[in-house]
Amino acid sequence: MKLNERSVAHYATCNSPPDKTGFLFKKGERNTAYHRRWFILKGNMLFYFEEKESREPVGVIVLEGCTVELCESESEEFAFAIKFDCVKAKVYKMAAENQAAMESWVKALSRASFDYMRLVVKELERQLEEVQEEARSSQAKSMLKKHQLQLQGATFSLQNATITGPSQEGVSSRENGVSWSKPPSVPNGVRDTQGDCSERGDGVRPPPVPPRRKTNGGSLESPVSPGTGCFSKLHDWYGKEVAELRIEWLQSQIHW
Amino acid sequence: MRFNEKELVFLSRQPSERAAELGMRGPKKGDVVKRRLVKLIVNFLFYFRTDEDEPIGALLLEQCRVEREDDHVFSIAFLDEAERKYLFECGSQEQCVEWIDAVVKASYEFMRKNLIYYRTEIHRLTGKDPLEQYGISDETRFRVNSGLPPPPT
Repeated sequence: MKLNERSVAHYATCNSPPDKTGFLFKKGERNTAYHRRWFILKGNMLFYFEEKESREPVGVIVLEGCTVELCESESEEFAFAIKFDCVKAKVYKMAAENQAAMESWVKALSRASFDYMRLVVKELERQLEEVQEEARSSQAKSMLKKHQLQLQGATFSLQNATITGPSQEGVSSRENGVSWSKPPSVPNGVRDTQGDCSERGDGVRPPPVPPRRKTNGGSLESPVSPGTGCFSKLHDWYGKEVAELRIEWLQSQIHW
Repeated sequence: MRFNEKELVFLSRQPSERAAELGMRGPKKGDVVKRRLVKLIVNFLFYFRTDEDEPIGALLLEQCRVEREDDHVFSIAFLDEAERKYLFECGSQEQCVEWIDAVVKASYEFMRKNLIYYRTEIHRLTGKDPLEQYGISDETRFRVNSGLPPPPT
């Protein structure tokens, strides 16, 4: 079978950087002694030269459909072999000069195939798409959060403004105007709200919509009456959510 | 130069990226166009007589230039002998364009360039080297700045 040998040999010595070079002992194909040769690995081609300074390779081993294994050799330490899948396939027996070189060559040769490179490329291609997709969607999310935060900030400060001094209305034991006991039923439907409040716990993602937002027409009037015993819980809960949203928003500001 | 011919012939029987009967003309003066079954497998282009199982020959597709010669003709030339062109006559313009694209992308070096690009981009966007989790971030073949000086001639 013909091969564009001249150009293949040129690939060995042209200025594209090789993947690995070094001396190895190669068992002869006819003469079964081990010969020291200078090896250049480029892509899926393993070239070998008589000397390091030789211009033309003695030969090349195409590294497709092969496995690289350590092997026992009577005469050589640090021996390994390149074995091919096909029937009556060649086995290239090689030996390195030391343990480290052997391990390094075995690793490099087992990753030399075109298929392996293709696998890695496909994997990175997929990862890049994922990263780009995440970047797009998180940018959208952070813009949404930022908007939510601004809304929240406006209504929260309003809440703060309405509750000033300690409230005395209808609840038992207070400390600093705060009551932790369950409130009595309050006319403006706050119980549902409070019920929701106690159900909405920590770590609900995304943060549940606070009751205020459910009011129609964007009314800024707080549905929670000042005297509500559960206010402190509500207060803490809003405060936490706001703090979290603020952190997220600030982080998003850093990126874009 | 010796090469593992039997193993290459075995490779030529594997599933191909692309295969078609094309008109092929060798680079030598006096070469004429002949019908050949042309098979693209990894970075090799194998060519067979249309009724034979064993390839006549193989071209390693590294360090080559692929050019559109005509509506439905493309050429492959190797950088060390740029005037010597292998010509391939396709059945249609579309087929010609597809083959050119396939051959360009068939080189190991082309894949390596892509890999380096993806690796750099992912690192830029995430601050992490995507190859680290596979334990291959130190491999020379994936090195971003593999600008080793050319070996002395």
